[in-house]
Amino acid sequence: MEAQMLLIPIGVLIIAALVGLSKAKVALKIVSILSAVASAVIIYNGVLGLKTTIELKYNLFNSPSFFASLNYLVFRVDALSAFFLLILGILSLCTSVYGIEYMERYFEREDMRVYTFNYPLFILTMYLVVICWNLLWFIIFWELMTLFSQFLVAFEQRKEKAVRAAFKYFCMTKAGAEFIVLALILIILKATNFNANYSEIANVLPAYLSVHSTILYTLTFSLLVGLGVKASMVPLHSWLPDAHPEAPSNVSALLSGIMIKLPIYMMFRFFLSFFPLKPEIGIIIAIFGVLTLFFSMMYALLQEDSKRLLAFSSIDNIGYILLPMGAGIYFLASGNQLFGGIALAAALFHTMSHAFFKGLLFLTAGSVMYETGTRDLNYLGSLAKKMPLTASTALIGSLAIAGVPPLNGFVSKWMIYISTLSSPATSLFGIIAIFISAVTLGTFVKYFTAIFTKPPVKEIDAKEVPLLMSAPQLLLALLCIAFGIYPFIPLKMISQALGSIGIPLASLVVYPSLVVPRTGSYSPIIIFAFLLVSTLIVLLLIPSRGEVVPTWKTGRSEDLNISMPADAYYRDFREVFREVYTLGDASKRFVQKVAEIGRILGTKFEVFSYDLDSMLSIAMVLIVILVAVLGGVGL
Amino acid sequence: MSIIFIAVNLAFALIISPLIDGFERKIRARLQNRQGPSILQTWWDLIKLFKRPTIEPQDSVKPLYKLAPYITFTSILTAYLIIPTLLPASTNFIGDLIVVVYLLGLATLCFVIGAFSSGNAYAQIGSNRDVSLFMSEELLLAFIVGTIAVIGKSLSLDRLFPLPFRISSVLALLLLFLVIYVASTRLPFDIAEAEPEIIEGPLIEYSGKHLGLLKYSIFLKRLLLYSLLLDFIIPIQNPIRLICYLIGTIILSVIYSTFEAYYGRFRIDQAIEILKRASIVALIVWMIAIVGW
Repeated sequence: MEAQMLLIPIGVLIIAALVGLSKAKVALKIVSILSAVASAVIIYNGVLGLKTTIELKYNLFNSPSFFASLNYLVFRVDALSAFFLLILGILSLCTSVYGIEYMERYFEREDMRVYTFNYPLFILTMYLVVICWNLLWFIIFWELMTLFSQFLVAFEQRKEKAVRAAFKYFCMTKAGAEFIVLALILIILKATNFNANYSEIANVLPAYLSVHSTILYTLTFSLLVGLGVKASMVPLHSWLPDAHPEAPSNVSALLSGIMIKLPIYMMFRFFLSFFPLKPEIGIIIAIFGVLTLFFSMMYALLQEDSKRLLAFSSIDNIGYILLPMGAGIYFLASGNQLFGGIALAAALFHTMSHAFFKGLLFLTAGSVMYETGTRDLNYLGSLAKKMPLTASTALIGSLAIAGVPPLNGFVSKWMIYISTLSSPATSLFGIIAIFISAVTLGTFVKYFTAIFTKPPVKEIDAKEVPLLMSAPQLLLALLCIAFGIYPFIPLKMISQALGSIGIPLASLVVYPSLVVPRTGSYSPIIIFAFLLVSTLIVLLLIPSRGEVVPTWKTGRSEDLNISMPADAYYRDFREVFREVYTLGDASKRFVQKVAEIGRILGTKFEVFSYDLDSMLSIAMVLIVILVAVLGGVGL
Repeated sequence: MSIIFIAVNLAFALIISPLIDGFERKIRARLQNRQGPSILQTWWDLIKLFKRPTIEPQDSVKPLYKLAPYITFTSILTAYLIIPTLLPASTNFIGDLIVVVYLLGLATLCFVIGAFSSGNAYAQIGSNRDVSLFMSEELLLAFIVGTIAVIGKSLSLDRLFPLPFRISSVLALLLLFLVIYVASTRLPFDIAEAEPEIIEGPLIEYSGKHLGLLKYSIFLKRLLLYSLLLDFIIPIQNPIRLICYLIGTIILSVIYSTFEAYYGRFRIDQAIEILKRASIVALIVWMIAIVGW
């Protein structure tokens, strides 16, 4: 019976997609409500999966055929997938509820069926990617996920920018998926004898790969590229800052909050349970993590578009997940169980925290767009008085993402520093992460103050958003606070999740503190309680009741003619650290040059292709090379 | 036992930190051939501010504007739970070096958010400078924290106090000395509050009790940073630790106020440039620590 629960979200979401094909206005409400119901069931499945492993098996073809590995469709939820299911469920519940009111603004302008049909299918494919237990089915669901999310990015079809962004997104992730396919074929052909079941692979593959190290590195490379594109790891990130801002805000929240975490989920599967642990693989992942967080945050500091700023910061947070994951693999491979467990727990904790605060921030950006119709930070301003609820949730989100104690962003950052800083091999990674954390703080001071407190260019007409939009924001903000003050619940789930792929998380929790023996400690409860109590005492002792007076204008009667638009923030800092941007721009020009060369070659090739014989011979040469690559790597 | 120690440390910090400022004012005055006010003058100033009514600017976001000084003040107080000052309290379970760094970050964040909420353009320019300075200061601090973690193989404070005597630890503490100078908003690094150009910047709209709290938190922050530096040097179990600590505090405030008396204010880009260069030095120090010297 419990296993059948896995099917309920699938059924509900398919019904929702079918309803979404109708043009009626009420379809949006029905689709959103059905998606919300499905999300609630997904949460339930996640909770169930943490208790016991749920498994559901279907024999589809009933005949031994070439597609032997496709024969069995296996759904299985272990603690690791359950953890991701929980994140997916909570986030999609919030975005579905939010969408009911938010999407109404688009009714006059766009064909709503693009949204109502693709949105439930997008959630469905993400759900299937997490619960499926077969590599071949995984890649099918994975490609479908890319497809449906691409339509959602291109939702506003009349905007050329959106369509181009969706096209870029599709091309890049499709090219990345080819690398995954290559890796899967290699695994299935070479190692596991046509068996694509996860449990089977986890049994066979580590032993095989520790002998055949060439294949291990080929697989690592292609998986890093393939999953890295989807996770938007620098230097494969360039689709994300274009695609995420163009989607409707609740879809952006899903894209940033959970979709780019699914590659992380697969990395956990591949690098930790399918592959033998090698220190150099860990270090490579960590280096990519550091590059990702460094460059994306330095560029986030420049942005003047609220959602583009958030998109860059999503890439940054992928860096904050890859860094501890790589460090964790390194530590486990070199025999340091304690730090390895903590680093991996930090990666999972940050996955969860980021889903909550980034989801929240995208929803607040959406609420601001809903009221004002713009994402331009230079134009916006002074909305805190008009939208107090949105402002306070945005403030909580900004504080959490900047990683200030006692919110949830700090817990994962603390675990990253504790595990990395004191070991010589990873110390520099931790140092850069601390610096970037300060830049994050600067970026989100900019985000918050530019929208909510700075005087606007001209008076903006806005009011608080309706309850159905503010309630999801409040829920996410509450989770940010609760998991920050009381991180023991997520940590318990994380230790189960890590346990399911065979990594013991050493006793980190010593109530009421998080204690890493001989290395560090942090007690969110005591710090929060002291902050709260002492602030209340000071408020009682020194109460301030003041009269309202005009803002001081250096004694002049007219307005001071100075203002700080968003592009003026931190100009001096950017000037001094211009080398970073010079480097970034140079690499951008390099990539553009490569693309240009590719285009020229493509044109040449097209001319060439009228000649059938040479076409065929080139194709044959390419096939020979491919066969050589596939067959020869074992030599 | 340790709770009593923490209470004593908190009381000590609350009472002494304005006195240290008074002492520094006296030194600066003497260096500039002035008589100078009494050491208690800073306390009288604070008391006067706490008696005054406050005002709220029309354009401000009131809840944020009013609450920010309180949280700035208490987040620095929270850091006193972790760092031993007068008495060597074993407060290891509350937090480590990272938590202290981030609590100071929280204080800066609240300070600038409050200033941004005041609606005054000068406050925005000032807090913008403050955040720029904070980010570059954090780069240097990150290297120092990393170096200290490599030297002590830990981030937990009872293992780091005192640091073992090595070349890298001496250099790291010298750099920490510089960061503390920058972080304690003094000339030539008080660019955010520069009076002649942007009229106290973030503090411009604050008055009365709010202003008093913000000033008080700057004094508390200075003493906290002095204590952090001294704890890295003075052995914690030493019977004469108390005397060493008090003498050390006085020496530090003499040195810092001497510097302050002789320098003019930097431009913001000069200050960031200096911090960036110092970070390159810190990178070298980190390498020395990795080598094991």
